[in-house]
Amino acid sequence: MKSILYDKTTQAIENTLRNPLVLIVAALVLGAAALVPLWMLFPYYRWLLSDPFWFPIIVMGVMLKVILTSTAVCILAERKLASFTQDRHGPNRVGFWGLLQPMADGLKFFLKEDITPANVDKPIFMLAPVLALITALIGFAIIPWAGDVHWPWMPEGEVVRTQVASLNIGILYMLAVGSLGVYGIVLGGYASNNKYSFFGGMRATAQMISYELPLGLALLSVLLVSGTVRPELIVDTQATTGMWYVFYQPIAFFIVLVCTFAEANRTPFDLAEAEQELVGGFHTEYSSMKFAMFFLGEYAHIVTGSAIMVALFFGGWHCWGLTSAADTSWIGMLIKLNVYFAKVAAFVLFFMLIRWTIPRFRFDQLMRICWLGLVPLGIALLAGTAILVALGWQHNLWASLGMNLVLLVLTLIYTARSTVPVTGRQTDLPEIQVRPA
Amino acid sequence: MRDEDVIVLEEPQLSAAERLYLPQILDGVKTTLRHTFSVKNRKQVVRQYPEDTRQGRGELRLANYRGVHRLNKDPDGRVACVACFMCSTACPAHCIHIEAGESPWPDREKYPVKFDIDELRCIYCGMCEEACPVDAIELTPNYELVGLTRAEMIFDKEKLLQVYEETKDVKPRKNPPVTDYGLTGGQSKDVAQPNVERKV
Amino acid sequence: MPGIASWVERSVRAAGEWNLNGMSTLLVIFLVLGATGLFLALPGTRGGWRPVGMALLVAAGILLVFVLADFALGRELPIWFGGCALVALFAATRVITHTKPVYSALYFVLLIVAVTGLLLLMSAEFLAAALVIVYAGAILVTYLFVIMLAQQARLAPYDARAREPFVGCVAGFVLLAIIAAQLLVAPSGVGAEPTVEEAAGTVEAVGTLLLTDYIIAIQLAGLLLLAGMVGAIAIARRQAADSTPQNGGVD
Repeated sequence: MKSILYDKTTQAIENTLRNPLVLIVAALVLGAAALVPLWMLFPYYRWLLSDPFWFPIIVMGVMLKVILTSTAVCILAERKLASFTQDRHGPNRVGFWGLLQPMADGLKFFLKEDITPANVDKPIFMLAPVLALITALIGFAIIPWAGDVHWPWMPEGEVVRTQVASLNIGILYMLAVGSLGVYGIVLGGYASNNKYSFFGGMRATAQMISYELPLGLALLSVLLVSGTVRPELIVDTQATTGMWYVFYQPIAFFIVLVCTFAEANRTPFDLAEAEQELVGGFHTEYSSMKFAMFFLGEYAHIVTGSAIMVALFFGGWHCWGLTSAADTSWIGMLIKLNVYFAKVAAFVLFFMLIRWTIPRFRFDQLMRICWLGLVPLGIALLAGTAILVALGWQHNLWASLGMNLVLLVLTLIYTARSTVPVTGRQTDLPEIQVRPA
Repeated sequence: MRDEDVIVLEEPQLSAAERLYLPQILDGVKTTLRHTFSVKNRKQVVRQYPEDTRQGRGELRLANYRGVHRLNKDPDGRVACVACFMCSTACPAHCIHIEAGESPWPDREKYPVKFDIDELRCIYCGMCEEACPVDAIELTPNYELVGLTRAEMIFDKEKLLQVYEETKDVKPRKNPPVTDYGLTGGQSKDVAQPNVERKV
Repeated sequence: MPGIASWVERSVRAAGEWNLNGMSTLLVIFLVLGATGLFLALPGTRGGWRPVGMALLVAAGILLVFVLADFALGRELPIWFGGCALVALFAATRVITHTKPVYSALYFVLLIVAVTGLLLLMSAEFLAAALVIVYAGAILVTYLFVIMLAQQARLAPYDARAREPFVGCVAGFVLLAIIAAQLLVAPSGVGAEPTVEEAAGTVEAVGTLLLTDYIIAIQLAGLLLLAGMVGAIAIARRQAADSTPQNGGVD
């Protein structure tokens, strides 16, 4: 019997798009179409590039575009990686190796019916996805993408920063924005007027408030080592010394990593959208572009979290022998930018790998990990780092590593001696008294 | 249930490494990575469907697969159905609609004037095939069943006979058993074995 | 004490110089409009009058724009300041006039964001970040948590009616009148332009201040928080111990 829906025309279009040559030619043509006017108009806008007010705005626009595109690519990467870990191929129909799948997904989201269920709290229902996306996106403002850049036509010694805003509260801004991120999820869960969504929102609230604590503690340890809260200065210090802070503070990095998982609502901490228990959690009632905004927000959150971790622990744009703080040429800037993106991409892939490896925690386990695991560890780490700072040894690699090792050994001893099982299965419930019949 | 029936399971004690959780995560990541990079594995497991079908690979059990129905023809080219309504009675989804008429042929009383199967209602359980006394209705290995309208998916007698023509080479008609009216086709004189008495 | 004494003296003199010309007339109209509007707009039994109250409040807001514009002329206040201030006022009004507690909490968040903007304009960046982290990020999320858990199908009686709207409005606007009189009538006094030190709001400056000049205060605050935490844990523990025997039995 002949398939009606998979006819010759469809097949022909599909096969054309699946030809890598076609894709390369299309990319070149589109790229040229964008670059030629940029190149021709260059003399008219080049003063914008050297202006300390307009350059951050240009950086903001470009980065917003890059991040939104990268979230789309993230979704493809996630689906591909998920398939590979499960011995599947993943999307491979649209375009060569499925590369055009994000466009197809986006088109699908636009064309889907946008349902607003009856009895929802309409203003909040509309507001929630917007908040989720915005709070995930504005975190990018403080990321020092590629250090300083000196354009050839600028006066000698002048530079502009490839950073949207150089705030003197730096990392605190990140914490503030992150703490606002919970509103999108909570309000989405509340406004849906649905018990499952509501539980999702409740879980997200408790989880995010809890995990902000160890996150703050671990970040403080790093700030104690660096002595500044400005991310660009933190990156500059790491680049000039060549020592990334992950070597000084591996435990702090581990805590921040776990907390970023929790803050971004990623497996194993995605209890707010636990499919098995809560249907879809806070986004059960959302469809079309509103759902897409939640979706984009989640991935933007991952990219922001990764970028912050790269800046704090992995030297930002620094790579030994490839980039240096003294190199302010625009070629150097491009190299730095790519180094930064490569590190962020590695982190994002790690996030995805973990998602397809570890099952979700139970909620009491989640809370136990935070309050009985990470918070004491974070406090101990902060105290240890403070002692190092008081002794003036915070930039002594062996002293820092020794402190971390002592903490690790103490943790091991604590976990080995503890009689409560990690799963915490009903050990502290009272015995059931059965009344004799 | 008595107390002795209850089995009390002790939670296994975890080792120090398991309590720390991290080594176990790394172990899991190792497994995930192994699968991620094993191209051979996924090439073996996954079939690229429209190009590579199970049928094309010879992996489909043709005699067993329950796909689209067909109405068999006897060697004379007549519809084999005798319009006994056994299949529509047996059908749990009530998707078979038959209208019987006086048979123009001497070897049977009735034949189906209309024989419609709603392929969208059908659950492909194969009960009709089990129930048919003359093996006139059969399920074919054809699973590519698509249509653009609901009306298109209600298969009438002509369509079902046409499915027979399309699939008779892949899956020939079973040897039909004897009915009271004699052979309705085929050469075998096998009579269906009565059921073996079931042990209770 | 001399500070308070001089403040009282100045207030008395300001009250003596009180005249109903120009700015002050506008201000009095604004205060009366605002008080009446707020009284009518507060949730209560005056169902039909609420839109009137809202309209009066909007009128008061427009009037306030003129008052502020006149006040800001010559003082070089950035336009952002006025914007943030108006948003903060609007949000604050909605916090107390909205009947749904979730919306009230959300308007509180908006209020905090607006105040954060004001703090940023005054170069108090650390305070701004701390305000968002503590209030918007932790306290109000907990508020929302509690409000959602306690939500009812219909409007609760304590949400549907404001308690003591008349006394509240009068007290609030009398206070506002005194402060505004200080600001407008005696502009050389408390209304003088503050000199903003650029580096005063940074993390370093605040941290140094807290750990040197205000070390006693910060230790006391820490002790207070510790006591609160211990108390909370003690209460929670006792309740858990009390509740187990009743729930433990199975019938």
